[in-house]
Amino acid sequence: MATFRIKRFNPEKQPEPYFEEFELDIPDGATLLDCMNEIKWTLDGSLSYRMSCRSAICGSCAVKANGHALLACQRQGEHLLDNDDTITLEPLGNMKPVKDLVVDFTPFWDKINKVKPYLEPKDEAPAKERHQSQEEFLIIDDASTCIMCGACYSDCNTLEVDDNFLGPAALAKAQRFVGDSRDSKTLQRVQDLSEPGGIWDCTHCAECVERCPKPAKPFDRIKEIMTVALDNGVHNNNGARHALSFTNSVKRSGNLNENRIPVESMGIFNISGLLSLIPIGLRMLLKGKVPPVIHHSIDEVDDVKRIFKELDQ
Amino acid sequence: MKFALFTGCVAKGATRELMLSTTKAAEGLGFEFVEMKSASCCGAGVVSEKSPLLADALNARSFSIAEKQGLDIVTICSTCQGTLKKTEAHLNESKEYKEKVNDILEDGGHQYNGTTRIKHFANILATEEGMARLKSRIKRPLTGLKVAAFYGCYVLRPSENSDFENPDNPTGMEDIFAALGATPVYYPSRIKCCGFPIVMMNKDASLGMSGNALVDAIDNGADVVATGCPLCHLSLDSYQPEIESLQKKNQSIPILHLPQLVALALGYTPTQLGMDSHIVSTLKINQILSNSASSSH
Amino acid sequence: MIEHDVVIIGAGLAGMRCALEASKELDVAVLTKVYPSRSHSGAAQGGIAASLGNSEPDSWEEHMYDTVKGGDFLNDQDAVEEYVKAAPRIIYELEHMGCVFSRTADGKIAQRSFGGHSKPRACFSADRTGHAILHALHEQLMKNEKSVKIYNEWYMHSLIVDGDRCNGVVVSNIQTGEVEVIRAKAVVFCTGGYGRVFKITSNAFASTADGVIAAFEVGIPLEDPEFVQFHPSGLFRQGILFSEAARGEGAYLLNDKGERFMENYAPSRMELAPRDIVSRAEQSEIDAGRGVNGEDCINLDLRHLGEARIMERLPQIRQLAIDFLGIDCITDPIPIQPTAHYSMGGIPVDKFCHVILDAEGTKMNGFFAAGECACVSVHGGNRLGTNSLLDAVVFGERAGKSVLEYARGKDFGNVNEGQEKAKVLEKFEDVFQRDGSESYKDIRDDMKEIMMSHCGVFRDAEKLKVCMDTLKELQVRFKKGKVTDKGKIFNTEIYEIMELGNMLRMAEVIAEAALYRQESRGGHSRTDFPKRDDKKFLHHSMVYDSPDGFVIKTKPVVITKYPVTERTY
Ligand SMILES: Cc1cc2nc3c(=O)[nH]c(=O)nc-3n(C[C@H](O)[C@H](O)[C@H](O)COP(=O)(O)OP(=O)(O)OC[C@H]3O[C@@H](n4cnc5c(N)ncnc54)[C@H](O)[C@@H]3O)c2cc1C
Ligand code: SF4
Ligand code: SF4
Ligand code: SF4
Ligand code: SF4
Ligand code: FES
Repeated sequence: MATFRIKRFNPEKQPEPYFEEFELDIPDGATLLDCMNEIKWTLDGSLSYRMSCRSAICGSCAVKANGHALLACQRQGEHLLDNDDTITLEPLGNMKPVKDLVVDFTPFWDKINKVKPYLEPKDEAPAKERHQSQEEFLIIDDASTCIMCGACYSDCNTLEVDDNFLGPAALAKAQRFVGDSRDSKTLQRVQDLSEPGGIWDCTHCAECVERCPKPAKPFDRIKEIMTVALDNGVHNNNGARHALSFTNSVKRSGNLNENRIPVESMGIFNISGLLSLIPIGLRMLLKGKVPPVIHHSIDEVDDVKRIFKELDQ
Repeated sequence: MKFALFTGCVAKGATRELMLSTTKAAEGLGFEFVEMKSASCCGAGVVSEKSPLLADALNARSFSIAEKQGLDIVTICSTCQGTLKKTEAHLNESKEYKEKVNDILEDGGHQYNGTTRIKHFANILATEEGMARLKSRIKRPLTGLKVAAFYGCYVLRPSENSDFENPDNPTGMEDIFAALGATPVYYPSRIKCCGFPIVMMNKDASLGMSGNALVDAIDNGADVVATGCPLCHLSLDSYQPEIESLQKKNQSIPILHLPQLVALALGYTPTQLGMDSHIVSTLKINQILSNSASSSH
Repeated sequence: MIEHDVVIIGAGLAGMRCALEASKELDVAVLTKVYPSRSHSGAAQGGIAASLGNSEPDSWEEHMYDTVKGGDFLNDQDAVEEYVKAAPRIIYELEHMGCVFSRTADGKIAQRSFGGHSKPRACFSADRTGHAILHALHEQLMKNEKSVKIYNEWYMHSLIVDGDRCNGVVVSNIQTGEVEVIRAKAVVFCTGGYGRVFKITSNAFASTADGVIAAFEVGIPLEDPEFVQFHPSGLFRQGILFSEAARGEGAYLLNDKGERFMENYAPSRMELAPRDIVSRAEQSEIDAGRGVNGEDCINLDLRHLGEARIMERLPQIRQLAIDFLGIDCITDPIPIQPTAHYSMGGIPVDKFCHVILDAEGTKMNGFFAAGECACVSVHGGNRLGTNSLLDAVVFGERAGKSVLEYARGKDFGNVNEGQEKAKVLEKFEDVFQRDGSESYKDIRDDMKEIMMSHCGVFRDAEKLKVCMDTLKELQVRFKKGKVTDKGKIFNTEIYEIMELGNMLRMAEVIAEAALYRQESRGGHSRTDFPKRDDKKFLHHSMVYDSPDGFVIKTKPVVITKYPVTERTY
C-alpha cells in the first residue's frame, strides 16, 4: 500500500492549502498519472490537475513529486516511492496555485511571448522551401522539442527570487530562433536577451536541465545564446564583460585573476556598480582574503596560450 | 591513496584557507595529493560561454596531465568538479569530437585517452574505503556540532555527471558529517544554488538565494554550514553581512569548507586551518565543541 | 454576451491554421479546452504527406491513388484531388512560417517512407512532426495576438442555431466555471477525434467527441462514424502508440506460444504488413486465446536485436516502454495490442468545409468544420498514416478561407442569450443534483470495455446488438452517478462527466452505423460479412438523430479518376 500525500487547495472552501493523504495499491505498471486518476476516480472526485496526452508530449501534467517537477504521465508510480512508501505531490513552483495541483500559467506564457517566439525570416518566401542544412537543423533541434510543460520554470532557482527573470522555457524558446539559420533578427534578439532578466541572470543551477523531460534542456540552450551574443559583440553588460574578462584572464595566466574580474565585469565606467564592490572588497581585505596582488601564472602557461591562439580566441 | 589535485583558482586565491585545510586533511588521512601545477582553470562554465570548444580543450589538457602521471583527479570545488565532468561527457559523447580536441592538444604534447577518473574530495571520502579510513583517524569527534551541508549545484546537476547516488536527495556529505561525529542537518535548500554566478549581474537575486538557503539552514537548527565549493563559500560567507534576510533576523552562521571540517576532526586546530580568515566568525564552533567535550568528561 | 466575427472551437492543427487564415480580415476567437500547444495534434510522430519529390520523384496523382486505395475506395475523389494537390504548397507555407523540418543532405525537407504510400512522401521533424507543426502554428498565433483572441481552457457546450443558420456557441471558462454565450457570424469546429470511446486508444484524454455530438444535437447528421482505425502497436493497457520503427528494425510479433503468427496472415510481409492487417492478425490471436498469459495482448519482441543495436537505433523507444510500462525491451518483450487511433468519420462537410445536412449538400449556414472531427471525406474507409495531419492543415486553411468568404459583410444572427445560457446552466445543475452512488469511472470503463470488445477491431451483428443494449443501460446509469465536486473553480470532474455524456452518445452512433454496414471495408471489419460489398455499400452512411431513434441515410461516393478495384497489397 502506498501513501499519496497531496497538497490540496480550493480557494472556494479554504484560503490555505493543506496536505491530504490517500492510500492506494499501485497497479502493475501504473504511471504516476494513472495513480492520480485512480485516486480521483475512486477516492475523491474533487481532486484537480491537468492532463491530456498521457504520452509525455502535451506538457499538461507537470507536477512536483517529492519536491521536484516532473511529468506525471512519464514516470512509474512505483519508482517514485520514498523510503516510507510515500509520494508527496504538490503543484508546480514559481506559479500561483489555482486549485489543488493546477497552477496559473499566465506569467509563463507572457514570458514566452516576450521573446518574440516566431520566425522573422530573412527574405521573401521562395516558391518552395527555404533551405537549411542538416547541421543548421541540429542547432535548433533540441530547443524545438520543448513541450511547454513548465517543469523547468517550476524549479528554477533564479525565478524563485526574481519574477523578472524570463526563465528557462522562454530562453530555450528564444534559442530556437537565435539559432535558426532562416531568421533575420539574430543580433536584435541577443541584444534583447542580454538585458536584465535575460540570459545573464541565469544562475547556472541546472535545475532546468534536470527537470526537463525533453532534450530542450534550457540551461544548455542559454549557454548557446550567450556564445552567440558574445560572438555578435553584445558586450555592454556585466554578464558579457564577466565572461570576457574571465576568459582573458585564463588566456593570460592559465587561471583566474580574481582581483580584476569584479572590476572588469562591472565595467570601468559603471561607478555605482564599482562602489557596490567596495564593502565586500574591504571585508575581504581586512581578513587577508584577497588574492595575491601579483597574480601567478600556472606552469606551462605557454601551451594554454597556444590553445587559445589555435582556436582564434 | 594518491591523487592528482586539481586545486582550482579560488583555492589559490580568495579562499587560500581551502588549500591550506585540504593539505592538512590529506595529511591527516594519509592521502597523497600531487598538485597539478600546470593545469589551467576549468573555466567554471564561463569560458564555455565564450567558446565551448575552448573550454573543453583546456580541460582535456588537464586530464592528459593526470593521465601521464597515472593518477585520478581529485577536485575541491563543486564547480571545478561539475565543469570537468561536463567536458568529460562531451569528449565521450562522440569520437569525432574527441579527435578534434586531441588534434588541438597534440602540439602541446598532450592527448586525452579517458583513463583518469575525476572525483570530488567528498566523493572520495564517501566511499566505503574513504569512510573506513576517515573513521579510523578521527582524533577529535565533532560531537554536538550540528552541520548543514551545502553541496553546490555543479556536483549534483546534471545528475548523469554526478557521483552522488541520488543527486535529488544526496546523503554523501551528511554521511561524512556523521562519520566525523557531528550531527547532520537535513534541510531543503542543501541542494540549491547559492547564487554566486550572478552576483555581478543581479546581486539582489544572488543574495536572495544565499539568504534563503542560510535562513533555511538556521531554521533547521544548524550551527554551521559546510560546503564543498569555494564559490559557494564566497557567496555564503563573504557576502553574508550584506544578506538582507539574515540581517532582518539579526542572525549569522559560520561557513566551513568541507576539508576544514574534516581536518578539525582529524585533530588540527582552527588556526592551522585558516578558520580565522573567514568573514563570519567561526569561534562559535570551537565553543560548541569544547562545551560538548567538557560535558562528556 | 461576447461577440466575434468568427469563433473557432479547437486549437489543434486544423483550428490554428484556420485562425491564421480567417484573421487576415476578421475578428477571430479560438476557444480550446486545453492550451493550444497541448492539443492532440502534438502527439503525431510519423510525418505529414506531400508529393514534394525531395527524395524520389513523386506526383499528386500517385499520392491520390495511394490515398484512395488505402481508403478502400470510399473516399470522395474530387476532394482527394484538391487535397493532395494543395499538399506541397501547404508544407512549403508551414516551412516559411518557421516549422522545423528534418532535412536532406542538400537542405531540402527530408521525406521518408510510410505504410500505404508508394513513395517516400512523409515530411517529418525527427519523431515529433505533429508537435513541430503545432508549435509553429502557435507561434504564428502569438505573433498575431492582436487579431486572434485565444480562450485557453474554455469548454464549448453547445451550438446556437436558428433554422438553417448557426449563430454562435455556449461555452464556459474552466478556470472560473462561468458560462458565457459567444455570438458569431460563423462557427468553425476543429475539435479532433473521439478515440476515447474505446478502452484502448492512442488518443488524448481530450479526444472525447464534444464537437461532433454538439453538432449531432442540433440535427446535423454524422457521416461514416463506423470507420475507426485501429493501430497495431498500442502499449498494453495504456494504448499509447509504440513506434512502428521497432518493427522496422526487425522486432517480432509473438503470441503466447512464442510463435511468429504473422506467418499465418501475411507470410510475405510478416510484421511489416499494413496496419489494419496486422491489427486484425493480433486481434485474431487474442480472440483465439493465444494472447500472452491469456491477456489481451501479444508480445513485441526486440531481444534478439541485442542490447547494442537497441541502444544504438531505438534508445528513445526503449525509454518509452520503461517510463510508461516499466518494461525494458532489452531483457523483456513488450506487450502490445491494437489501439483505437483515428476517426475517419465525423461532421459531414463539402470540399469547402461548409457543414452539410444531407446527400444533396444542403448547407448549415455559418457552420464549418475541419480536421479529424470533420468528414470531407478524403480518407474513405481507412486513412493512411501521415494523411491526417495533412487533412487538418489543408482543410484548416480552407475553412479559414471559406469563413472569410462567408462572413464578410454578414450581420450577426439573433441570439437569445438568456435562454441559451439557461440551457447550459441547466446541464450543470442536472449533474450537480445527481446523488447516485455509482462512480463515473465504472460507467466510463464499462462503455470503453463494451466498445472495444463488441464494436472494436472485429464486429458482428450479434455483438453489436449486445453492445447497443449495454449502451442503453449505461445511459440510464449515467443519469445517476456519484458527483463529488460541486465547486466552480477548475472543477475537472464536471467536465469529465459532460465528456462522458458525449462519448456515450457517440458510442451509440458508432454502433448503429457499424450494424448498418453489412460488409468489411477499410477499418470496418464484420466477421459475419467478411467481404467488401460495392453493390450494396459503396456509399457513405449518414446517421441522423430523431425522436424515434437513429435514422440512417446514404450519401453517394464521388468517384472521378480511379475506378473501384480490389484492394490488395
Ligand atoms: C498518437 C497519434 C499519432 C498520430 N500520428 C500521426 C502522424 O504521424 N501523421 C498524421 O498525419 N496523423 C497522425 N495522427 C492523427 C492526427 O494527429 C490527428 O488526426 C490530427 O492531429 C487532428 O488534428 P485536429 O486539429 O483535427 O484536432 P486536435 O489536434 O485533436 O485538436 C482538437 C482541439 O479541439 C479542442 N476541443 C475539443 N473539444 C472541445 C470542447 N468541447 N471545447 C473546447 N475545445 C475543444 C481541443 O482542446 C483541441 O484544441 C496521430 C494521432 C495520434 C493519436
Ligand atoms: S540553470 Fe538558469 S534557467 Fe536553468 S533553472 Fe537554473 S537559473 Fe533557471
Ligand atoms: S524546456 Fe523542458 S521543462 Fe521547460 S517547458 Fe520545455 S519541455 Fe518543459
Ligand atoms: S571553477 Fe573556479 S575555482 Fe574551479 S578552476 Fe574554475 S575558476 Fe577556478
Ligand atoms: S551553489 Fe553556487 S557557487 Fe556553488 S556550485 Fe552552485 S552555482 Fe556554483
Ligand atoms: S499528459 Fe501530456 S505530458 Fe503528461
